[in-house]
Amino acid sequence: MHRYLRFPAMLACFLMAVTCHAATDQPLTTEDALGPQIQQPIEFPHYRHAGNRNPVDPTNSDPTKGGMEINCQYCHTYARRSLTAGIPPLQKCIGCHQNIPTVRDKPRIVELFKYWDAKKAIPWKKVHDLPDFVRFNHERHIKRFIEQQGRPVQEVCGYCHGQVKEMTTARRQKPITMGWCRSCHMKDHVVVVANKDGIPEGGTPLGKQDYWYTFQKPAEKRNAAGELTAKGPNDCWLCHK
Amino acid sequence: MIDSEFDRRDFLKVLGWGGAAVALSGCGNTSIEDGKETIVSYVQAKDYVIPGVAVYFNSTCAQCDAGCSITGKIREGRVLKLEGNPESPINKGRLCGLGQASVQHHYNPDRVREPLLRQGDKGEAISWEKAYGLINEKLSGVKGEEIAFITGDVSGHQKVLLGNYMDSLGSKNHFVYEAAAPAVVRAANLKAYGVEMPRYRIDKAKVVLSFGADFLGTWVSPVHFAQQYAAFRKGVDGQRGVLIQAESKMTLTGANADRWLAVRPGTEGILALGIINALGIATGDVAQLVKDYDKARVSRDTGVEPSHIDKIAAILRLRSPSLVLAGSAAEGYVHGMQNAEAINLLNYVLGNVGKTIESPVSVPFPQLAPSKGNTASLKRLNDDLAAGKYKVLFNIATNPVFTAPASYKFGDSMAKAGFKVAFAHYLDETALQADLVLPLDSEMEDWGTHVPEYLTETAQINIQQPLMERLHANTRGMGDILLALVKQRKPEEYKAFDDYYGYLRGAMLQNKGALGGAEKDDDNFWNDTLSNGIVKLSGPSSALSGKADVAGLKLPAPREADKEYPLRLIASVTSNLRDGRHTNQPWIQESPDPLTTIVWDSWIEMHPKKAAELGIVEGDIVKVTSRTGSISAQVYVFPGIHPEAVSIPIGRGHEAMGRYAKGYGVNPFSIMDSVFESTTGELAMHETNVNIAKTGQRVIVVKDEGPVGGKQMGARIAVSRSTDQVDLSKEV
Repeated sequence: MHRYLRFPAMLACFLMAVTCHAATDQPLTTEDALGPQIQQPIEFPHYRHAGNRNPVDPTNSDPTKGGMEINCQYCHTYARRSLTAGIPPLQKCIGCHQNIPTVRDKPRIVELFKYWDAKKAIPWKKVHDLPDFVRFNHERHIKRFIEQQGRPVQEVCGYCHGQVKEMTTARRQKPITMGWCRSCHMKDHVVVVANKDGIPEGGTPLGKQDYWYTFQKPAEKRNAAGELTAKGPNDCWLCHK
Repeated sequence: MIDSEFDRRDFLKVLGWGGAAVALSGCGNTSIEDGKETIVSYVQAKDYVIPGVAVYFNSTCAQCDAGCSITGKIREGRVLKLEGNPESPINKGRLCGLGQASVQHHYNPDRVREPLLRQGDKGEAISWEKAYGLINEKLSGVKGEEIAFITGDVSGHQKVLLGNYMDSLGSKNHFVYEAAAPAVVRAANLKAYGVEMPRYRIDKAKVVLSFGADFLGTWVSPVHFAQQYAAFRKGVDGQRGVLIQAESKMTLTGANADRWLAVRPGTEGILALGIINALGIATGDVAQLVKDYDKARVSRDTGVEPSHIDKIAAILRLRSPSLVLAGSAAEGYVHGMQNAEAINLLNYVLGNVGKTIESPVSVPFPQLAPSKGNTASLKRLNDDLAAGKYKVLFNIATNPVFTAPASYKFGDSMAKAGFKVAFAHYLDETALQADLVLPLDSEMEDWGTHVPEYLTETAQINIQQPLMERLHANTRGMGDILLALVKQRKPEEYKAFDDYYGYLRGAMLQNKGALGGAEKDDDNFWNDTLSNGIVKLSGPSSALSGKADVAGLKLPAPREADKEYPLRLIASVTSNLRDGRHTNQPWIQESPDPLTTIVWDSWIEMHPKKAAELGIVEGDIVKVTSRTGSISAQVYVFPGIHPEAVSIPIGRGHEAMGRYAKGYGVNPFSIMDSVFESTTGELAMHETNVNIAKTGQRVIVVKDEGPVGGKQMGARIAVSRSTDQVDLSKEV
């Protein structure tokens, strides 16, 4: 082999190997990528608040087993109204807990009331942190999946936040990288097109919207199931303003 | 075989490429930092607070005295951005660059945060109780006439409270000082029209002839005039308005004019009389006055070509109504009043009074009307201080040590006052000389009411309300401070008011009927007032009462060239910097000057002819010397200036005031001669004569215009080095 061919050939092989390696390593599906366990000022038990009820314990008396199935949005009220989900104000916790005398002497609740009595905010640590140049809009995702498509709240929040209802303090379960975001945005989603009168025809109804948000142009032909599909929003500026 | 054909060098190269590829493909998993940042929630959230969603509050811009109403965007309790409030007839939803920059005043890292008491060269942080106690102690046994107050323009309830405090001390020495106020024009207007500021209707005029009135940039109420100007350019009856600007140094307005005339400094009045003569429609006294001002003479005196005088006269005859404005360029001379009077006379001759010069609305509450600042007051204060008349001096957020001409030696005069209290946002030149510095809230943390100096359609009281909580725990609002001080004197009268907010609310509710809230209950009225940010009042118009008076109007012949100091120094007011109180806002430093595009530094404007004569090119560092002193700065060769003048903008050259102001540029006040306007006693800012000497140094002027890459004068800034390693003075 000529010497001047050797180098490029070797380089090409290496690059190919490296890219293949990267491609398999890069999570492009919703496979889990567990984040670190983060120490919080109060070990908030999500499983107790949002977890499923224990069917054999209808009174929910055993705190280690049953949850109360509280809707995520009951506490995280800002998520459906704003870009940022925010953290519930302390007032929210106290609103219920001042009327639950049975757990009042539990260490975590005692700690909670210490903050309340001092009127001090709890310094929670951020579990799902995006870089500053990424603008993720909670409101928009909730509008689409929960309000328009009527999917269950815990399922929808779980797309990104994982099975929080089984955790104490939240821990990141998904990679939340750009590639991971795109793995969903680039799927073929079933959509509906409004006809001339502005009424959607066939498919899964998208609510009363007769515009595409920023969805890409739908496929020309319907798929085998007779559905019209389109890929999700793909514009750079949606997240990188 | 292949093994022997690969050498070690190639292998390493490939390995290196491979490593880079791995690093690239790994991108995207690295920037999430779980558990690093704290996310603080509210303890108790207001109903309207949603993190990530902005709320808007109306308030008033305090960057200049135009009184534009603003709407602040607030997110998570932080003010982020200001825009104009569309309900205000002054700015109608617009806001200038200066106003935009005021968030940098609020968040400025160099704000004073604690009350400071002088201990030798240092300031010791003390408590407010101690500070108030100290003031009370220092005032005991001091007579009222030995106490002086210096403030900028002040209006609204703060003025009332200040007045009450001064009454309680028995002091009548209130010096209202503004370095760049149109005080001479006000006096000339009062004589000509019977009011200090009539309502100018640029939008109704078909021709505007402006003698150095920079109404688009710095003059009186620029945001308002800019909107009138837009209407004027669209035209009345389909005739696009024509703007003619006559001045010695081009202003932003001059750059927008259809015809810009370079007038010999100080001859604006002669040009006005020459135009009256050329119009040929004047009668009686006026005709008698202007009969000697024929074209040849006027042209010789002013440097304006005879054909231009003819053209101006022709268009003024052709299009009516017109509007003639006397601006700061005309007033800055010993005969500034005469200049302004001659220019106002032109309005009478053209029949503009009553058409484009309307009677202004007046404020129904005279006690709230603004005390208007000027420079004559500073001269008086300086003389009094130098004579040792005052034992206690209160300075409310003014900076005369910076803006007084060096020849006043204001710092030395001030030192003669026994106890000097400065209410300040920053440790500026004046605060540094005080004995006690009391930190003020920014305008976005404080309550207040303001009555704009220049009112438009209606009289109005502007509301200033906090847009967010205090950034620093130990600053106080000026109103709160005055209330605490006046309580020391009259505890019984003011005991009902816990704070200035309570005082303000009480005072406004007391006059609810007159403020247009007769049928509302107290809470509704107050909430509406705060939510609107403006209380519009229907006040009577004060009628125009003056007449075309030529008595005493006598213009001096143009100045003979001074052999030693041949050039006239024009200390110019630019739309970014104004009088230099905002120089420490980086956006102000960073936004290029509209005409020269220079940033972060001072410059000396010089006409190309004069520069060629002196052998000076752009970027030469020259020494400008007046009878008072000298400064050195870079030259900017600029055709928009009269060859007999050079211009240095005021506002830069701070020796204190924080990291963004200190050490940038030069201060032309430091070489300004003490020459005064003869009628009003105002400082004649254009009467300083200078000479220019080359220093031999040359730099590259940092500016936005010109070819990319900094190619200047045939030289090119080395692009191979990073900017912090480039020494501009060595690059030429």
